[in-house]
Amino acid sequence: MTEVLLLGRRAVREIVRYPEATIPTLFIPLFFLVVNIGQVSKTFPSTTPFLNGQGYVAFQLPVSLMFAVATATSGLALVTEIELGYFDKLLVAPIRRSSLIFGRLTADLVRGIAASALVLLVGIALGARVQSGMLGALLIVLLSALFGVAYAGFGILVALRTRNVQATQSSFLLFFPLLFLTPNFVPFDRLSPAMETLARINPISYVIVGLRSLVIDGWDVGKIAVAVAVIFGLGAILTALSLRTIANYNR
Amino acid sequence: MPNGNSPTASNGAGAAAIVARSLRRTFKGGIEAVRGLDLTVTSGEVFGFLGPNGAGKTTTVRMLCTLLPPSDGSATVAGLDVARDGAEVRRRIGVALQEIGLDPVQTGRELLELQCGLYGITGRHGRARAQELLELVGLTDAADRRTRTYSGGMKRRLDLASALVHSPEVLFLDEPTTGLDPASRLTIWDELRRINSGGTTVFLTTQYLEEADQLCDRLAIIDDGRIVAAGTPEQLKAEMGHDVVSVALNRADPSATEAALTGLPGLERIMPEPHALALYVEDGAGLIAEIVRRLDRDGIQVGAISVSRPSLDDVFLKATGRRLEGREQAQDEGAVTT
Repeated sequence: MTEVLLLGRRAVREIVRYPEATIPTLFIPLFFLVVNIGQVSKTFPSTTPFLNGQGYVAFQLPVSLMFAVATATSGLALVTEIELGYFDKLLVAPIRRSSLIFGRLTADLVRGIAASALVLLVGIALGARVQSGMLGALLIVLLSALFGVAYAGFGILVALRTRNVQATQSSFLLFFPLLFLTPNFVPFDRLSPAMETLARINPISYVIVGLRSLVIDGWDVGKIAVAVAVIFGLGAILTALSLRTIANYNR
Repeated sequence: MPNGNSPTASNGAGAAAIVARSLRRTFKGGIEAVRGLDLTVTSGEVFGFLGPNGAGKTTTVRMLCTLLPPSDGSATVAGLDVARDGAEVRRRIGVALQEIGLDPVQTGRELLELQCGLYGITGRHGRARAQELLELVGLTDAADRRTRTYSGGMKRRLDLASALVHSPEVLFLDEPTTGLDPASRLTIWDELRRINSGGTTVFLTTQYLEEADQLCDRLAIIDDGRIVAAGTPEQLKAEMGHDVVSVALNRADPSATEAALTGLPGLERIMPEPHALALYVEDGAGLIAEIVRRLDRDGIQVGAISVSRPSLDDVFLKATGRRLEGREQAQDEGAVTT
Protein backbone atom coordinates (compact mmCIF):
# COMPACT_ATOMS: atom_id res chain seq x y z
CA MET A 1 0.00 0.00 0.00
CA THR A 2 2.85 2.37 0.85
CA GLU A 3 4.31 2.00 -2.62
CA VAL A 4 0.93 2.80 -4.22
CA LEU A 5 0.70 6.00 -2.18
CA LEU A 6 4.31 6.94 -2.98
CA LEU A 7 3.75 6.38 -6.70
CA GLY A 8 0.38 8.12 -6.51
CA ARG A 9 1.88 11.15 -4.81
CA ARG A 10 4.52 11.32 -7.49
CA ALA A 11 1.88 11.12 -10.24
CA VAL A 12 -0.16 13.91 -8.61
CA ARG A 13 3.00 16.01 -8.42
CA GLU A 14 3.44 15.38 -12.13
CA ILE A 15 -0.09 16.69 -12.85
CA VAL A 16 0.47 19.82 -10.76
CA ARG A 17 3.85 20.53 -12.34
CA TYR A 18 2.77 19.82 -15.85
CA PRO A 19 -0.45 21.85 -16.23
CA GLU A 20 -0.01 21.87 -20.02
CA ALA A 21 -1.27 18.28 -19.94
CA THR A 22 -4.40 19.04 -17.89
CA ILE A 23 -5.60 22.46 -19.07
CA PRO A 24 -6.56 21.33 -22.61
CA THR A 25 -8.59 18.45 -21.13
CA LEU A 26 -10.64 21.04 -19.21
CA PHE A 27 -10.99 23.41 -22.12
CA ILE A 28 -13.08 21.02 -24.22
CA PRO A 29 -15.79 20.27 -21.62
CA LEU A 30 -16.14 23.91 -20.60
CA PHE A 31 -16.22 24.99 -24.23
CA PHE A 32 -18.98 22.46 -25.02
CA LEU A 33 -20.94 23.51 -21.99
CA VAL A 34 -21.00 27.19 -22.98
CA VAL A 35 -21.41 26.65 -26.72
CA ASN A 36 -24.13 24.01 -26.51
CA ILE A 37 -26.16 26.04 -24.12
CA GLY A 38 -25.81 29.10 -26.33
CA GLN A 39 -26.97 27.12 -29.34
CA VAL A 40 -29.98 25.22 -27.99
CA SER A 41 -31.29 27.10 -24.96
CA LYS A 42 -33.96 28.78 -27.12
CA THR A 43 -34.97 25.41 -28.59
CA PHE A 44 -35.22 23.87 -25.11
CA PRO A 45 -36.47 26.56 -22.74
CA SER A 46 -36.97 25.72 -19.08
CA THR A 47 -40.58 24.82 -19.82
CA THR A 48 -39.35 21.77 -21.77
CA PRO A 49 -40.70 18.71 -19.89
CA PHE A 50 -37.39 16.81 -19.62
CA LEU A 51 -35.67 19.84 -18.07
CA ASN A 52 -37.96 19.77 -15.05
CA GLY A 53 -38.04 23.58 -14.83
CA GLN A 54 -34.26 24.08 -15.18
CA GLY A 55 -32.19 25.65 -17.95
CA TYR A 56 -30.53 23.43 -20.58
CA VAL A 57 -27.22 23.81 -18.71
CA ALA A 58 -28.51 21.35 -16.11
CA PHE A 59 -29.14 18.77 -18.83
CA GLN A 60 -25.75 19.31 -20.48
CA LEU A 61 -23.66 19.44 -17.30
CA PRO A 62 -23.17 15.65 -16.87
CA VAL A 63 -21.86 15.35 -20.45
CA SER A 64 -19.24 18.02 -19.71
CA LEU A 65 -18.33 16.26 -16.48
CA MET A 66 -17.65 13.07 -18.40
CA PHE A 67 -15.55 14.94 -20.94
CA ALA A 68 -13.54 16.55 -18.15
CA VAL A 69 -12.58 13.28 -16.49
CA ALA A 70 -12.21 10.94 -19.46
CA THR A 71 -8.63 11.58 -20.50
CA ALA A 72 -5.64 9.63 -21.72
CA THR A 73 -3.37 11.61 -19.38
CA SER A 74 -2.33 8.62 -17.30
CA GLY A 75 -1.67 6.54 -20.38
CA LEU A 76 0.41 9.34 -21.85
CA ALA A 77 2.38 9.80 -18.65
CA LEU A 78 3.01 6.05 -18.62
CA VAL A 79 4.10 5.79 -22.25
CA THR A 80 6.42 8.78 -21.76
CA GLU A 81 7.91 7.03 -18.76
CA ILE A 82 8.42 3.91 -20.87
CA GLU A 83 10.19 5.94 -23.56
CA LEU A 84 12.40 7.72 -21.05
CA GLY A 85 13.43 4.46 -19.43
CA TYR A 86 12.12 5.45 -16.00
CA PHE A 87 9.55 2.68 -16.27
CA ASP A 88 12.36 0.08 -16.37
CA LYS A 89 13.80 1.65 -13.24
CA LEU A 90 10.45 1.12 -11.52
CA LEU A 91 10.13 -2.44 -12.84
CA VAL A 92 13.50 -3.34 -11.39
CA ALA A 93 12.52 -2.03 -7.94
CA PRO A 94 11.24 -4.64 -5.47
CA ILE A 95 7.60 -3.58 -5.75
CA ARG A 96 4.48 -5.21 -7.07
CA ARG A 97 3.89 -4.36 -10.69
CA SER A 98 0.23 -3.72 -9.89
CA SER A 99 1.36 -0.79 -7.72
CA LEU A 100 2.48 1.00 -10.87
CA ILE A 101 -1.10 0.82 -12.15
CA PHE A 102 -2.77 1.65 -8.84
CA GLY A 103 -0.37 4.58 -8.33
CA ARG A 104 -1.49 6.05 -11.64
CA LEU A 105 -5.17 5.44 -10.85
CA THR A 106 -4.76 7.20 -7.48
CA ALA A 107 -3.64 10.29 -9.36
CA ASP A 108 -6.59 9.91 -11.74
CA LEU A 109 -8.94 9.95 -8.77
CA VAL A 110 -7.37 13.14 -7.41
CA ARG A 111 -7.41 14.83 -10.80
CA GLY A 112 -10.96 13.62 -11.45
CA ILE A 113 -12.22 15.13 -8.20
CA ALA A 114 -10.56 18.47 -8.96
CA ALA A 115 -11.70 18.56 -12.60
CA SER A 116 -15.31 17.55 -11.96
CA ALA A 117 -15.62 19.93 -9.00
CA LEU A 118 -14.46 22.74 -11.27
CA VAL A 119 -16.88 21.85 -14.08
CA LEU A 120 -19.74 21.45 -11.59
CA LEU A 121 -19.03 24.89 -10.14
CA VAL A 122 -18.98 26.43 -13.61
CA GLY A 123 -22.29 24.69 -14.35
CA ILE A 124 -23.79 26.08 -11.16
CA ALA A 125 -22.45 29.54 -12.03
CA LEU A 126 -24.20 29.20 -15.39
CA GLY A 127 -27.50 28.53 -13.61
CA ALA A 128 -27.72 24.79 -13.00
CA ARG A 129 -29.22 23.70 -9.65
CA VAL A 130 -28.39 20.32 -8.16
CA GLN A 131 -31.80 18.95 -7.13
CA SER A 132 -30.27 16.26 -4.94
CA GLY A 133 -28.60 18.94 -2.80
CA MET A 134 -25.12 19.18 -1.35
CA LEU A 135 -24.80 15.44 -0.81
CA GLY A 136 -25.89 14.86 -4.39
CA ALA A 137 -23.29 17.36 -5.62
CA LEU A 138 -20.59 15.47 -3.72
CA LEU A 139 -21.82 12.21 -5.21
CA ILE A 140 -21.72 13.75 -8.70
CA VAL A 141 -18.08 14.76 -8.18
CA LEU A 142 -17.17 11.36 -6.75
CA LEU A 143 -18.92 9.33 -9.46
CA SER A 144 -17.43 11.50 -12.20
CA ALA A 145 -13.95 11.05 -10.71
CA LEU A 146 -14.48 7.31 -10.44
CA PHE A 147 -15.61 7.20 -14.05
CA GLY A 148 -12.34 9.00 -14.88
CA VAL A 149 -10.41 6.32 -12.97
CA ALA A 150 -12.25 3.55 -14.81
CA TYR A 151 -11.71 5.19 -18.19
CA ALA A 152 -7.98 5.84 -17.46
CA GLY A 153 -7.49 2.08 -17.59
CA PHE A 154 -8.10 2.27 -21.32
CA GLY A 155 -5.23 4.73 -21.95
CA ILE A 156 -2.98 2.72 -19.64
CA LEU A 157 -3.82 -0.44 -21.53
CA VAL A 158 -3.03 1.15 -24.90
CA ALA A 159 0.21 2.62 -23.48
CA LEU A 160 1.40 -0.75 -22.17
CA ARG A 161 0.36 -2.66 -25.29
CA THR A 162 1.66 -0.29 -27.96
CA ARG A 163 4.41 1.57 -26.02
CA ASN A 164 3.72 4.28 -28.55
CA VAL A 165 2.91 7.91 -27.75
CA GLN A 166 0.82 8.57 -30.86
CA ALA A 167 -1.32 5.48 -30.37
CA THR A 168 -1.91 6.38 -26.74
CA GLN A 169 -2.71 9.96 -27.66
CA SER A 170 -5.27 8.91 -30.23
CA SER A 171 -6.87 6.36 -27.91
CA PHE A 172 -8.72 9.36 -26.49
CA LEU A 173 -10.55 9.79 -29.81
CA LEU A 174 -12.45 6.59 -29.13
CA PHE A 175 -14.28 8.44 -26.41
CA PHE A 176 -15.98 10.82 -28.84
CA PRO A 177 -18.30 8.26 -30.46
CA LEU A 178 -18.88 6.66 -27.06
CA LEU A 179 -19.94 10.00 -25.64
CA PHE A 180 -22.04 11.05 -28.60
CA LEU A 181 -23.88 7.75 -29.09
CA THR A 182 -25.77 8.58 -25.91
CA PRO A 183 -28.73 10.71 -24.91
CA ASN A 184 -26.28 13.58 -24.59
CA PHE A 185 -28.41 16.33 -26.24
CA VAL A 186 -31.92 14.95 -25.65
CA PRO A 187 -33.43 12.04 -23.68
CA PHE A 188 -33.60 8.49 -25.12
CA ASP A 189 -37.21 8.89 -26.33
CA ARG A 190 -36.34 11.92 -28.47
CA LEU A 191 -33.64 10.08 -30.41
CA SER A 192 -34.29 8.47 -33.81
CA PRO A 193 -35.03 4.72 -33.47
CA ALA A 194 -31.59 3.65 -34.77
CA MET A 195 -29.82 6.16 -32.58
CA GLU A 196 -31.87 5.16 -29.58
CA THR A 197 -30.93 1.50 -30.05
CA LEU A 198 -27.23 2.38 -30.18
CA ALA A 199 -27.53 4.71 -27.22
CA ARG A 200 -29.32 2.07 -25.15
CA ILE A 201 -26.55 -0.44 -25.90
CA ASN A 202 -23.84 2.04 -24.97
CA PRO A 203 -23.07 1.73 -21.25
CA ILE A 204 -21.82 5.32 -21.11
CA SER A 205 -25.45 6.43 -21.61
CA TYR A 206 -26.38 5.13 -18.19
CA VAL A 207 -23.59 7.04 -16.48
CA ILE A 208 -24.88 10.25 -18.07
CA VAL A 209 -28.48 9.37 -17.16
CA GLY A 210 -27.46 8.64 -13.56
CA LEU A 211 -25.50 11.86 -13.10
CA ARG A 212 -28.23 13.84 -14.85
CA SER A 213 -30.87 12.45 -12.53
CA LEU A 214 -28.94 13.83 -9.57
CA VAL A 215 -28.96 17.30 -11.16
CA ILE A 216 -32.47 17.41 -12.56
CA ASP A 217 -34.65 14.91 -10.67
CA GLY A 218 -33.15 14.61 -7.19
CA TRP A 219 -32.57 11.08 -5.81
CA ASP A 220 -33.52 8.36 -8.30
CA VAL A 221 -31.89 5.37 -6.66
CA GLY A 222 -32.48 3.06 -9.63
CA LYS A 223 -30.69 5.34 -12.12
CA ILE A 224 -27.86 6.03 -9.70
CA ALA A 225 -27.38 2.33 -9.02
CA VAL A 226 -27.14 1.55 -12.74
CA ALA A 227 -24.57 4.35 -13.20
CA VAL A 228 -22.52 3.03 -10.28
CA ALA A 229 -22.70 -0.49 -11.69
CA VAL A 230 -21.50 0.67 -15.12
CA ILE A 231 -18.63 2.69 -13.62
CA PHE A 232 -17.45 -0.16 -11.42
CA GLY A 233 -17.97 -2.77 -14.13
CA LEU A 234 -16.01 -0.75 -16.69
CA GLY A 235 -13.33 0.01 -14.10
CA ALA A 236 -13.02 -3.64 -13.09
CA ILE A 237 -12.65 -4.84 -16.69
CA LEU A 238 -10.15 -2.19 -17.82
CA THR A 239 -8.11 -2.37 -14.62
CA ALA A 240 -7.99 -6.16 -14.78
CA LEU A 241 -6.76 -5.99 -18.38
CA SER A 242 -4.11 -3.41 -17.42
CA LEU A 243 -2.94 -5.55 -14.51
CA ARG A 244 -2.66 -8.58 -16.75
CA THR A 245 -0.73 -6.61 -19.36
CA ILE A 246 1.74 -5.18 -16.87
CA ALA A 247 2.21 -8.60 -15.27
CA ASN A 248 3.24 -9.98 -18.68
CA TYR A 249 5.24 -6.91 -19.71
CA ASN A 250 8.54 -8.20 -21.20
CA ARG A 251 7.90 -11.67 -19.84
CA MET B 1 4.74 -4.49 -0.09
CA PRO B 2 7.39 -7.14 -0.57
CA ASN B 3 7.58 -9.39 2.44
CA GLY B 4 10.70 -9.29 4.54
CA ASN B 5 11.48 -13.01 4.55
CA SER B 6 14.54 -13.28 2.42
CA PRO B 7 16.10 -16.65 1.81
CA THR B 8 19.62 -16.74 3.17
CA ALA B 9 21.82 -16.66 0.13
CA SER B 10 24.85 -15.26 1.87
CA ASN B 11 27.62 -14.06 -0.33
CA GLY B 12 30.96 -14.06 1.37
CA ALA B 13 34.05 -12.74 -0.38
CA GLY B 14 35.15 -15.13 -3.09
CA ALA B 15 31.64 -16.52 -3.64
CA ALA B 16 30.06 -16.08 -7.05
CA ALA B 17 27.97 -12.90 -7.29
CA ILE B 18 26.79 -13.69 -10.81
CA VAL B 19 26.77 -17.00 -12.64
CA ALA B 20 25.40 -17.44 -16.16
CA ARG B 21 25.18 -20.80 -17.88
CA SER B 22 24.40 -21.10 -21.60
CA LEU B 23 22.38 -17.91 -21.31
CA ARG B 24 20.48 -17.15 -24.48
CA ARG B 25 18.04 -14.55 -25.69
CA THR B 26 16.30 -14.69 -29.02
CA PHE B 27 13.97 -11.85 -29.96
CA LYS B 28 10.94 -11.91 -32.21
CA GLY B 29 11.96 -12.48 -35.81
CA GLY B 30 14.69 -14.89 -34.71
CA ILE B 31 17.28 -12.26 -33.81
CA GLU B 32 19.79 -13.93 -31.51
CA ALA B 33 21.04 -11.15 -29.26
CA VAL B 34 22.82 -13.42 -26.80
CA ARG B 35 23.97 -16.85 -27.96
CA GLY B 36 24.89 -19.15 -25.10
CA LEU B 37 26.80 -17.11 -22.56
CA ASP B 38 28.82 -18.58 -19.70
CA LEU B 39 30.35 -16.35 -17.09
CA THR B 40 31.13 -16.19 -13.40
CA VAL B 41 31.59 -12.92 -11.55
CA THR B 42 33.23 -13.20 -8.14
CA SER B 43 31.75 -11.32 -5.22
CA GLY B 44 33.50 -8.01 -4.62
CA GLU B 45 35.07 -7.57 -8.03
CA VAL B 46 34.48 -5.07 -10.80
CA PHE B 47 33.64 -7.11 -13.86
CA GLY B 48 33.58 -5.48 -17.27
CA PHE B 49 31.66 -6.46 -20.35
CA LEU B 50 33.43 -4.90 -23.30
CA GLY B 51 31.98 -4.82 -26.77
CA PRO B 52 30.66 -2.66 -29.59
CA ASN B 53 27.07 -1.48 -29.95
CA GLY B 54 24.73 -4.37 -30.69
CA ALA B 55 27.07 -7.01 -29.24
CA GLY B 56 24.49 -8.18 -26.70
CA LYS B 57 25.70 -6.27 -23.64
CA THR B 58 22.41 -4.57 -22.79
CA THR B 59 20.38 -7.73 -23.42
CA THR B 60 22.63 -9.63 -21.01
CA VAL B 61 22.30 -6.94 -18.34
CA ARG B 62 18.52 -6.88 -18.75
CA MET B 63 18.35 -10.65 -18.29
CA LEU B 64 20.55 -10.54 -15.19
CA CYS B 65 18.40 -7.70 -13.76
CA THR B 66 15.19 -9.71 -14.29
CA LEU B 67 13.88 -7.17 -16.82
CA LEU B 68 13.95 -9.72 -19.61
CA PRO B 69 13.47 -13.48 -19.28
CA PRO B 70 16.19 -15.64 -20.86
CA SER B 71 15.05 -17.70 -23.84
CA ASP B 72 17.29 -20.50 -22.65
CA GLY B 73 19.99 -21.27 -20.12
CA SER B 74 20.09 -19.99 -16.56
CA ALA B 75 21.61 -17.29 -14.40
CA THR B 76 21.94 -16.60 -10.71
CA VAL B 77 22.60 -13.23 -9.11
CA ALA B 78 23.56 -13.05 -5.42
CA GLY B 79 22.95 -16.78 -5.34
CA LEU B 80 19.35 -16.49 -6.57
CA ASP B 81 17.89 -17.66 -9.84
CA VAL B 82 16.84 -14.69 -11.98
CA ALA B 83 13.88 -16.53 -13.48
CA ARG B 84 12.52 -18.17 -10.30
CA ASP B 85 13.45 -15.69 -7.56
CA GLY B 86 13.10 -12.45 -9.52
CA ALA B 87 11.53 -10.52 -6.65
CA GLU B 88 14.35 -11.41 -4.25
CA VAL B 89 17.02 -10.71 -6.89
CA ARG B 90 15.53 -7.22 -7.39
CA ARG B 91 15.87 -6.51 -3.67
CA ARG B 92 19.59 -7.25 -3.78
CA ILE B 93 20.66 -5.48 -6.93
CA GLY B 94 21.07 -1.87 -7.97
CA VAL B 95 20.63 -0.99 -11.61
CA ALA B 96 21.60 2.00 -13.75
CA LEU B 97 20.57 1.33 -17.32
CA GLN B 98 21.96 2.83 -20.47
CA GLU B 99 18.87 4.96 -21.02
CA ILE B 100 19.07 7.09 -17.92
CA GLY B 101 15.79 6.47 -16.15
CA LEU B 102 14.88 9.79 -14.58
CA ASP B 103 11.55 11.48 -14.17
CA PRO B 104 12.04 14.98 -15.61
CA VAL B 105 9.42 16.79 -13.50
CA GLN B 106 10.75 15.60 -10.17
CA THR B 107 13.70 17.13 -8.37
CA GLY B 108 16.79 15.05 -7.69
CA ARG B 109 15.88 14.87 -4.02
CA GLU B 110 12.27 13.80 -4.68
CA LEU B 111 13.45 11.14 -7.06
CA LEU B 112 15.87 9.70 -4.52
CA GLU B 113 13.31 9.85 -1.73
CA LEU B 114 10.78 8.00 -3.90
CA GLN B 115 13.43 5.45 -4.78
CA CYS B 116 14.18 4.99 -1.06
CA GLY B 117 10.46 4.52 -0.40
CA LEU B 118 10.20 1.82 -3.05
CA TYR B 119 12.95 -0.06 -1.22
CA GLY B 120 11.13 0.33 2.09
CA ILE B 121 13.26 3.20 3.43
CA THR B 122 10.59 5.74 4.31
CA GLY B 123 10.07 8.92 6.31
CA ARG B 124 13.03 10.35 8.21
CA HIS B 125 15.29 7.47 7.15
CA GLY B 126 14.46 8.00 3.50
CA ARG B 127 15.17 11.73 3.70
CA ALA B 128 18.48 11.11 5.46
CA ARG B 129 19.53 8.45 2.95
CA ALA B 130 18.63 10.70 0.01
CA GLN B 131 20.73 13.53 1.50
CA GLU B 132 23.64 11.16 2.08
CA LEU B 133 23.55 9.99 -1.54
CA LEU B 134 23.23 13.53 -2.88
CA GLU B 135 26.41 14.36 -1.00
CA LEU B 136 28.10 11.19 -2.23
CA VAL B 137 27.53 12.07 -5.89
CA GLY B 138 28.08 15.81 -5.39
CA LEU B 139 24.56 16.96 -6.25
CA THR B 140 23.56 18.80 -3.08
CA ASP B 141 23.48 22.17 -4.86
CA ALA B 142 21.19 20.85 -7.59
CA ALA B 143 19.11 18.63 -5.28
CA ASP B 144 15.98 20.77 -5.40
CA ARG B 145 16.02 21.44 -9.11
CA ARG B 146 13.97 19.36 -11.51
CA THR B 147 16.07 16.72 -13.22
CA ARG B 148 15.21 18.05 -16.68
CA THR B 149 17.64 20.92 -15.95
CA TYR B 150 20.53 18.55 -15.22
CA SER B 151 23.50 18.03 -17.54
CA GLY B 152 24.30 14.56 -18.89
CA GLY B 153 26.93 14.01 -16.21
CA MET B 154 24.60 15.10 -13.41
CA LYS B 155 21.88 12.78 -14.68
CA ARG B 156 24.29 9.86 -14.73
CA ARG B 157 25.40 10.62 -11.18
CA LEU B 158 21.82 10.92 -9.93
CA ASP B 159 20.90 7.69 -11.69
CA LEU B 160 23.89 6.02 -10.07
CA ALA B 161 22.83 7.37 -6.66
CA SER B 162 19.30 6.05 -7.17
CA ALA B 163 20.75 2.59 -7.85
CA LEU B 164 22.50 2.73 -4.47
CA VAL B 165 19.68 3.67 -2.08
CA HIS B 166 19.47 0.19 -0.53
CA SER B 167 23.24 -0.54 -0.59
CA PRO B 168 22.88 -3.36 -3.12
CA GLU B 169 25.09 -6.44 -3.11
CA VAL B 170 25.50 -6.32 -6.86
CA LEU B 171 25.45 -3.15 -8.93
CA PHE B 172 24.67 -3.34 -12.65
CA LEU B 173 25.74 -0.44 -14.81
CA ASP B 174 24.98 -0.44 -18.51
CA GLU B 175 27.44 1.89 -20.21
CA PRO B 176 27.67 4.26 -17.24
CA THR B 177 29.85 6.80 -19.02
CA THR B 178 28.61 6.71 -22.61
CA GLY B 179 28.05 10.24 -23.88
CA LEU B 180 29.93 11.89 -21.01
CA ASP B 181 32.79 14.32 -21.37
CA PRO B 182 36.18 13.07 -20.11
CA ALA B 183 35.97 14.97 -16.81
CA SER B 184 32.55 13.54 -15.91
CA ARG B 185 33.79 10.12 -16.91
CA LEU B 186 36.65 10.36 -14.41
CA THR B 187 34.19 11.43 -11.68
CA ILE B 188 32.04 8.36 -12.33
CA TRP B 189 35.11 6.12 -12.27
CA ASP B 190 36.13 7.52 -8.88
CA GLU B 191 32.64 6.95 -7.55
CA LEU B 192 32.59 3.38 -8.84
CA ARG B 193 35.94 2.63 -7.21
CA ARG B 194 34.65 4.00 -3.92
CA ILE B 195 31.43 1.96 -4.15
CA ASN B 196 33.40 -1.17 -4.99
CA SER B 197 35.83 -0.61 -2.11
CA GLY B 198 32.82 -0.96 0.20
CA GLY B 199 32.36 -4.54 -1.01
CA THR B 200 29.73 -4.05 -3.72
CA THR B 201 30.20 -6.25 -6.76
CA VAL B 202 30.05 -4.14 -9.91
CA PHE B 203 29.05 -5.49 -13.29
CA LEU B 204 29.51 -2.86 -15.95
CA THR B 205 29.24 -2.82 -19.69
CA THR B 206 31.31 -0.48 -21.76
CA GLN B 207 32.49 0.18 -25.26
CA TYR B 208 35.45 2.14 -23.94
CA LEU B 209 38.74 0.25 -23.81
CA GLU B 210 40.27 2.59 -21.31
CA GLU B 211 37.32 2.21 -18.97
CA ALA B 212 37.63 -1.57 -19.06
CA ASP B 213 41.38 -1.32 -18.56
CA GLN B 214 41.27 1.20 -15.71
CA LEU B 215 38.29 -0.02 -13.73
CA CYS B 216 37.85 -3.72 -14.15
CA ASP B 217 39.42 -6.51 -12.16
CA ARG B 218 38.33 -8.90 -14.86
CA LEU B 219 36.55 -8.52 -18.14
CA ALA B 220 34.92 -10.41 -20.93
CA ILE B 221 34.90 -9.28 -24.53
CA ILE B 222 31.53 -9.83 -26.16
CA ASP B 223 30.90 -9.74 -29.86
CA ASP B 224 27.80 -10.83 -31.75
CA GLY B 225 26.21 -12.35 -28.65
CA ARG B 226 29.19 -14.46 -27.63
CA ILE B 227 32.09 -14.07 -25.23
CA VAL B 228 35.21 -14.18 -27.38
CA ALA B 229 37.86 -13.54 -24.72
CA ALA B 230 37.93 -13.27 -20.92
CA GLY B 231 40.43 -12.64 -18.14
CA THR B 232 42.12 -9.82 -16.28
CA PRO B 233 43.16 -6.91 -18.51
CA GLU B 234 46.82 -7.80 -17.87
CA GLN B 235 46.33 -11.47 -18.79
CA LEU B 236 44.52 -10.60 -21.97
CA LYS B 237 47.17 -8.14 -23.04
CA ALA B 238 50.02 -10.48 -22.09
CA GLU B 239 48.57 -13.16 -24.34
CA MET B 240 49.03 -10.79 -27.24
CA GLY B 241 52.82 -10.78 -27.10
CA HIS B 242 55.26 -8.18 -25.90
CA ASP B 243 55.10 -5.25 -28.33
CA VAL B 244 52.92 -4.18 -31.23
CA VAL B 245 54.48 -2.60 -34.29
CA SER B 246 51.86 -0.91 -36.40
CA VAL B 247 52.73 -0.35 -40.05
CA ALA B 248 50.43 2.09 -41.82
CA LEU B 249 50.09 0.90 -45.41
CA ASN B 250 49.02 4.04 -47.24
CA ARG B 251 49.09 2.79 -50.85
CA ALA B 252 51.31 -0.24 -50.25
CA ASP B 253 49.96 -3.66 -51.20
CA PRO B 254 48.94 -5.52 -48.02
CA SER B 255 49.95 -9.01 -49.14
CA ALA B 256 53.32 -7.88 -50.54
CA THR B 257 54.04 -6.03 -47.32
CA GLU B 258 53.04 -9.04 -45.24
CA ALA B 259 55.28 -11.27 -47.36
CA ALA B 260 58.24 -8.91 -46.91
CA LEU B 261 57.85 -8.90 -43.14
CA THR B 262 57.15 -12.62 -42.61
CA GLY B 263 59.99 -14.35 -40.84
CA LEU B 264 61.15 -11.31 -38.87
CA PRO B 265 63.12 -12.40 -35.79
CA GLY B 266 60.86 -12.54 -32.72
CA LEU B 267 57.65 -12.09 -34.76
CA GLU B 268 54.71 -13.80 -33.03
CA ARG B 269 51.81 -12.88 -35.28
CA ILE B 270 50.77 -10.49 -38.04
CA MET B 271 47.17 -9.16 -37.95
CA PRO B 272 45.89 -7.39 -41.05
CA GLU B 273 43.72 -4.35 -40.34
CA PRO B 274 42.10 -1.88 -42.68
CA HIS B 275 44.97 0.26 -44.03
CA ALA B 276 47.56 -1.19 -41.63
CA LEU B 277 49.36 -4.30 -40.43
CA ALA B 278 49.79 -5.05 -36.72
CA LEU B 279 52.95 -7.01 -35.92
CA TYR B 280 53.08 -8.67 -32.50
CA VAL B 281 56.77 -9.01 -31.67
CA GLU B 282 59.13 -9.59 -28.77
CA ASP B 283 61.13 -6.40 -29.10
CA GLY B 284 59.48 -3.68 -31.17
CA ALA B 285 62.10 -0.94 -30.94
CA GLY B 286 64.94 -3.31 -31.83
CA LEU B 287 63.12 -4.47 -34.93
CA ILE B 288 62.33 -1.13 -36.58
CA ALA B 289 65.61 -0.97 -38.51
CA GLU B 290 65.12 -4.50 -39.87
CA ILE B 291 61.54 -3.72 -40.91
CA VAL B 292 62.62 -0.60 -42.78
CA ARG B 293 65.46 -2.54 -44.45
CA ARG B 294 63.15 -5.29 -45.68
CA LEU B 295 60.53 -2.87 -47.00
CA ASP B 296 63.23 -0.86 -48.75
CA ARG B 297 64.68 -4.04 -50.25
CA ASP B 298 61.31 -4.94 -51.79
CA GLY B 299 60.62 -1.38 -52.88
CA ILE B 300 57.53 -1.06 -50.67
CA GLN B 301 56.61 2.44 -49.52
CA VAL B 302 54.59 2.53 -46.30
CA GLY B 303 53.33 5.32 -44.03
CA ALA B 304 54.10 5.65 -40.34
CA ILE B 305 55.64 2.83 -38.31
CA SER B 306 54.95 2.94 -34.58
CA VAL B 307 55.70 0.76 -31.58
CA SER B 308 53.38 0.32 -28.59
CA ARG B 309 52.46 -2.11 -25.84
CA PRO B 310 49.46 -4.28 -26.70
CA SER B 311 46.19 -2.69 -25.66
CA LEU B 312 42.77 -4.21 -25.08
CA ASP B 313 41.99 -3.07 -28.59
CA ASP B 314 44.65 -5.49 -29.83
CA VAL B 315 42.92 -8.17 -27.80
CA PHE B 316 39.64 -7.14 -29.38
CA LEU B 317 41.19 -7.21 -32.84
CA LYS B 318 42.56 -10.68 -32.29
CA ALA B 319 39.24 -11.97 -30.99
CA THR B 320 36.95 -10.37 -33.55
CA GLY B 321 39.12 -9.33 -36.49
CA ARG B 322 37.99 -5.72 -35.99
CA ARG B 323 39.09 -2.81 -33.87
CA LEU B 324 36.89 -1.07 -31.33
CA GLU B 325 38.93 2.09 -31.13
CA GLY B 326 37.85 3.97 -34.26
CA ARG B 327 34.17 3.77 -33.37
CA GLU B 328 34.87 4.86 -29.85
CA GLN B 329 36.52 8.04 -31.05
CA ALA B 330 33.75 8.75 -33.53
CA GLN B 331 31.18 8.36 -30.75
CA ASP B 332 33.22 10.44 -28.34
CA GLU B 333 33.31 13.33 -30.74
CA GLY B 334 29.58 13.06 -31.25
CA ALA B 335 29.00 12.92 -27.53
CA VAL B 336 31.03 15.97 -26.59
CA THR B 337 28.92 18.24 -28.74
CA THR B 338 25.66 17.16 -27.06
